[in-house]
This record gives sequence, structure tokens and C-alpha cells, in this order.
Amino acid sequence: MGEIKIVNATGLACPQPVVLAKQAIEANEQVKVIVDNDTALENVKRLGNKLGCDVKVEAQNGGLFEILLTRQAGAPVPSENIAVSCNAAPSTAGPFVIVCAEDKMGRGNDELGDVLMRAFLHTICLEKAKPDVLIFYNTGVKLTVQGSEVLDDLKEMAAAGVELLVCGTCLNYFEIKDQLAVGIVSNMYDIAQTMSRAGRLLTP
Amino acid sequence: MSESVSYFVMLFKAVSYALKAEKILKAEKLPHKLIPVPKEISSDCGICLRCEPSFQEVIQAALAGKVEFEEIRQMVN
Repeated sequence: MGEIKIVNATGLACPQPVVLAKQAIEANEQVKVIVDNDTALENVKRLGNKLGCDVKVEAQNGGLFEILLTRQAGAPVPSENIAVSCNAAPSTAGPFVIVCAEDKMGRGNDELGDVLMRAFLHTICLEKAKPDVLIFYNTGVKLTVQGSEVLDDLKEMAAAGVELLVCGTCLNYFEIKDQLAVGIVSNMYDIAQTMSRAGRLLTP
Repeated sequence: MSESVSYFVMLFKAVSYALKAEKILKAEKLPHKLIPVPKEISSDCGICLRCEPSFQEVIQAALAGKVEFEEIRQMVN
């Protein structure tokens, strides 16, 4: 067992405490981070939990907190993918949601927008960290029906456990409900609720 | 009999060439997929056609004289 690495993050503004803690735990088995405010405390705790560390907090005099992070055996090696967040609210707790509000990506040229959307969904499909939910509304629902160029990618994501919510009103409006080929017909309650609860919401 | 599924990608000079090639393959009902150019080939934001090796000859024949392509790369999954 190595020594405990001490990181004094007092007086530092977000995201410095988390950045320093992350760097330290990447190089050490045990790190003690000293912070002087609740936001930094929550952020460092969340980082530790995300990295699969054992997290112990001790309140000290003068409003200081000591956070002891201990890497667990078998815990994933900290990677670049851990986002450093300044938000004290538990924003990362909700699902990762991608909203396809159109069947094109970007505005200006439809032919190009069509190509970009296909390339985007294909790339997302190849990602290891897939979204939890894909939402389709307005012309976005056209991506989910028979003849869609992205069906293979969407089906692969569905098979991998990604939830696909397709706006029923929209399918109805375009009169393509009977052609739905992937995902489940959903409604505004589920869609609005999923978007509201999202930890991350991404619109291509 | 390799376990890994391999495919090939056709690279074009410009997006418009790839789109033109796609239209031809669609009309000919030849299986293909428009994908972003794999990162290991180029970091540009380009698109290319991904196809099954068993269709390489017929696809090349279908595009011959109609759309120029820059290169064909064999890929291993």
C-alpha cells in the first residue's frame, strides 16, 4: 500500500477540485481531498462514486471537509470519459437522452442534412457508451419507419437495450403509424417526462 | 473462415460523388451503407460507402464510368 496522496483544494473554484482529485486518483490508490465548500464536496464525492472508489467524508473545523477516496480492487481504471461537472445538482443521475426532432441534422440543405443524420446515428450506434433513450418526434419519426436508411442502426441500438420512444401523434400526422419498424409508440407524457429527467439531453 | 466480419469502404473525392454513387447502387438494388469515413482512414468529416466484399466486383462494375472513386479499403471489424 502506498501513502495517501493529499490534495489541498481549499480556495479553489470549480472545476479545479474535481480535476485535481481525478488526476490524483489516477496515479494513486488512496487520495485525501480537502475542500472548503459543499459544491466541491458533492462534486468530488460524485467523481469518487463514478470511478467506483470507496468514498469517506469527514467534516473538519472551519468548514473544511476531508474526502478519502480509495480505489477498489477491480474498479475500472479512471478514464478520460469521466466528465468533470461543476453542477452541484445530481445532473448526471438521469438518463442520457438523444432527441431526434427532425429526420435531418442541421438546417440549410436537406440532402446534406439527411446524410449527416445517417452518419450521426451510425456513429452513435458504434459508440460503447450508448444513450439510454432515443426520442423521435416531428419529422424525426420518419427515421423509425419501413424504408428508413437508419433502421439497421436503430434496430441494433434497440437490441443493445436502448429505449426508442416514437411520438404517436407525429406518426399519426404523417399517416405512417402502420409502418413503424423499430421502437415503441409513445406519447407526450412519456416524452416530456423523459426529457425533463434526462441527465444529458442531446439534439443532433 | 475468419471470425471477424470484414467489409470494404469506397472513398470519394467529395460528398456529392458518394451521394451519386449511392443513388446508382440504390437503383441497382446493390447492398451498401453510407457511413462516416472511419477515423483510422481520415479525421476529416467525410462520408463513404460501406459494402460487403462479396459485392465488390458488381458494385465496381455498376459505378464504372459513372462515378469516380478515389480508393477502396478493406476493413476488418
